[in-house]
Amino acid sequence: MVEQRLSVPRYWRRIPQYYRLEGVQCVKCGRIYYPPRAVCECGSREFRPYQLPSMGKLLNFTVLYSVPAEFEKMKPLIIGIVDLGGVRVVGQIVDCMNPEKLTPGMDVEVVFRMVKMDGTYGLINYGYKFRPLDNC
Amino acid sequence: MFNTTEVYVVAHSLVPGGRHYEKGLKELFAEAFLRVLDQVGNSQIGAIYVANAFSQVLQDQSALGAFLSDYVGLRRVPAIRIESGDGSSGVAMLEAYNMVKAGIYDCVAVVGVEKMHDVVSIKLNKALATITDYEYEGFFGVTPAAQAAMAMREYMLKYGYDYEDLAIWPIKMHERGSKNPYAYMRKQATLKDILESEVVADPLRLYDTAPAVDGAAAVVLCNKPLRDNAVIKIEGVGIGAYGTYLGQRDSLTELVSVRDATNMALKMAHLSINDINLVEVHDTYSILGMLALESMGLVRPGETPRLLSMGALDAGNKPVVNASGGLKAMGFPGGASGMYEVVSMVMELMNEKPFDSLGKVEYGIVQDMAGFDLISTVMIFRRVG
Repeated sequence: MVEQRLSVPRYWRRIPQYYRLEGVQCVKCGRIYYPPRAVCECGSREFRPYQLPSMGKLLNFTVLYSVPAEFEKMKPLIIGIVDLGGVRVVGQIVDCMNPEKLTPGMDVEVVFRMVKMDGTYGLINYGYKFRPLDNC
Repeated sequence: MFNTTEVYVVAHSLVPGGRHYEKGLKELFAEAFLRVLDQVGNSQIGAIYVANAFSQVLQDQSALGAFLSDYVGLRRVPAIRIESGDGSSGVAMLEAYNMVKAGIYDCVAVVGVEKMHDVVSIKLNKALATITDYEYEGFFGVTPAAQAAMAMREYMLKYGYDYEDLAIWPIKMHERGSKNPYAYMRKQATLKDILESEVVADPLRLYDTAPAVDGAAAVVLCNKPLRDNAVIKIEGVGIGAYGTYLGQRDSLTELVSVRDATNMALKMAHLSINDINLVEVHDTYSILGMLALESMGLVRPGETPRLLSMGALDAGNKPVVNASGGLKAMGFPGGASGMYEVVSMVMELMNEKPFDSLGKVEYGIVQDMAGFDLISTVMIFRRVG
């Protein structure tokens, strides 16, 4: 495994997002954003944390064979766009041995997985991925 | 208002893309830059704008400009590096244009330079992934190829195309590249070659991606032409932005930043898109070339594959799309890629070989873009005299 020298604070400060899919909801107009942002389309800067639902639908996907260094041993990756209660999230689709069975509109659930690891002794990064409910 | 002057492209040069293992950033830069310097003679170059995306990631070099200008004996000439991902060149051109237009310098050089082959492909993929929203996309393995692949899937579904229909882009670009001595890919490609090539990100195949190359390309912009016959003038420039996480986009088949940049440039030039004769688009992936044409208003949405296969975008038509063969044939030198488009367009408008058969036409438009619709630039060039 390639040494990435993953940064602890860079990862740690995103734990609410990586572990719990925590977005933000505008206090004024109710719009929800993932990833979080500082100013809403309506101009408001007041947000409350908003946890996205853990069930959703697959919208689009690709099987990625040419991957960045830290994913070399996990290739191919399935990268997809998933609709979680009206909010679209990009991420890996896992537990799917037959990607040709994937179709837009199929149900997926959020799962918690290892994303990357830094050599034998370095940091392990965890985060959300998506698993189709039907076997594939 | 201190817009007092016009801006002309008075010199251009290009180091053909390739695997230049024996040359570093400095040597590639010098090769392109010294050629334009020789073309302009004793003209005072006030500043150099350097378009480069990855010198920190791939060469561990920050403040790149300082070392480049020193290398060519111009230690006291500021070389300003512009980093805007694979769209660095267009932004550098805009900055240089503004400096001349505003009367701050009489002449400014713009040089795109990138070394993609200092690392192996998985490390290059990691560098390319920095053009995504890294905390939420690159972190999970998303790359620009994955984004383009999903756009391609949406395009095929939306307009009812098969993969074979979209393969017309690499077929046409390879055909153009085969006639262009400056191209990196100079071999024609058949549908069979394309269908048998490896899948990069389903449905995107190897032939849909512009091959990474090392390279450099340069122009000099001045407030007056250096000769009185055919010269190239910049009639309009535009920039647009739509930087966002992929999930927050409504559509993957429209490039909002390209549309805005085009409208801004056309307005400045007092032109309509129908006046444009030649176009060079930033086809890092074939789908992005098609979406750019459609977002610029040169082609109706969903029509590009059909028009391409009819030959309606080949030489002799209006517009001629990527007469150079685009980045697909010229190669993809990261942040320098837009300069390849600019130099190709200048050669096309000047009817330099191998573009002598394009004939005397007036307007050419160049589109550059960072990532997936993050920030785009559009420049309109006019042949005068």
